[in-house]
Amino acid sequence: MNSLHETYRRPLFPRGPGLGFRTFLLALASLALIFHDTRSDSLQPLRSGITVTLTPLVWVAALPSRLLNAAGDIDLRATLESENKDLRAKQLGFEARLLKLEALEAENRRLRELMASAATLEEQVLIAEIVAVSQDPYRHQISLNKGARDGVYRGQALVDAQGIMGQIVEVAPFSSKALLITDPDHGIPVEVNRTGLQTIAVGRGDERGLRLPFLPSNADIRTGDLLVSSALGGRFPAGYPVGEVYEVKHLAGEHFMEAYAHPRARLNQGRQALLVWSESYAGADDESAASPEPAVPTATPPATPEAQPTPAKPAPTQQPATAPAAKPVAPPANKPAQKPATTPETPAGPPRVRP
Amino acid sequence: MKSARSLHGYFLLSLLLALLLQLIRLPEALSAARPLWVALMIAYWALREPRISTLFTSFIVGLLLDVLFAAPLGQHALGLVVVVYLVERLRSIFVLFPLWQATFALIPVWTVFCFLMFWIDGATQHQANAWLRWLPILSTTLFWPLVFSVMELLRQAPEEE
Repeated sequence: MNSLHETYRRPLFPRGPGLGFRTFLLALASLALIFHDTRSDSLQPLRSGITVTLTPLVWVAALPSRLLNAAGDIDLRATLESENKDLRAKQLGFEARLLKLEALEAENRRLRELMASAATLEEQVLIAEIVAVSQDPYRHQISLNKGARDGVYRGQALVDAQGIMGQIVEVAPFSSKALLITDPDHGIPVEVNRTGLQTIAVGRGDERGLRLPFLPSNADIRTGDLLVSSALGGRFPAGYPVGEVYEVKHLAGEHFMEAYAHPRARLNQGRQALLVWSESYAGADDESAASPEPAVPTATPPATPEAQPTPAKPAPTQQPATAPAAKPVAPPANKPAQKPATTPETPAGPPRVRP
Repeated sequence: MKSARSLHGYFLLSLLLALLLQLIRLPEALSAARPLWVALMIAYWALREPRISTLFTSFIVGLLLDVLFAAPLGQHALGLVVVVYLVERLRSIFVLFPLWQATFALIPVWTVFCFLMFWIDGATQHQANAWLRWLPILSTTLFWPLVFSVMELLRQAPEEE
């Protein structure tokens, strides 16, 4: 074992550049790549090209956990029946609430038009599967099985049933990567649901969740406060739960205090996530270069041909019908009365209640 | 005696396997202690098979790892290139050691790899839990004898026929 292979001959006169020189060249190339990649986006085509080539590898790597999941899906008939019954009861409850919601939505739209605000409520979502592939344990990222082909764009918000999970940072044709809100590179504008206090939640990079740095020392925030996303920055849809404060820390001798929050979304569990097309994407200009579809100044998100986009609201067709009907009435009534210049485009008012 | 072509086939196959092992999802608690499979495999080939050039391949595989982990392009490539350089440079020493001594002698190599990853993450403003980062050194050291023996077995078996 502790001898060289018998066919090994050390070349008497080695040709070509030596080992040290080749290493030096490759290390230099790596450093140049690192430098270039962290400073600009020009290597993105190379990256997505490699991602596409590696798709089979990722698929194979995700196979074991997929098989495990499939095995876990085998269930007794009785369990299925009882689960079905539960779900039916739940759906009935939701439908009843939805009826009320539609009326509230219409009312909200009318009120917003009276206030001449541009924000609309329509959002479209798409279900994406989380690919069961390990990531660097020091980066809080997940891979999704939807990509540019489904209209996914960089900066798109990702939510689950409990709250905001993160945003898309990398898009390949058939897959994408999302950065979770607990990553230390991630910050999300939030507001405290109880008081409307606006701040930013930064990921802590560990299991403990989010950090709210630089709060004024007299800020009204306490343990148990719900944080919801605010539409500042225009990247996340407003009003989704983000986290719950579990500790408020006054630092002795500091002008600021810090609060810590647990994320609401179940980041490490679950197999599916929802991609949200928020209305501000339509008018956003900073990320439109990364998106394949041209930005349209309407609230309708780009259509996704292959996948079934499940609308957040069940009746999206009737909403455009009511909107134009109300429009001609509203503007003449409020225009002279209000100063349109002072109206913020995305009001930071009370967060919208979602179904 | 195997032809150089089948040797390269084995080489690429083992690298693919290492990439898969690196990718397969582990429970959250274990994933920080996952051994550096790709570095292990590359170091094995660099140590045992002077007939194939591992240096450039390690660069390419490193780029693949960077894309898979969404790290800055070149981060793992640099680490792997340095690992191969160290192993090839010190090959004449390593082959004299019995397996258990070589296992310990390789610890500095894994440490250098982990340090490079840590350093580049720091330089690109990506802070992370600093203490868990050194855990792979331990697990990689523990896995080296296993990988080495299994690869030796696999590599010798067809040759005896």
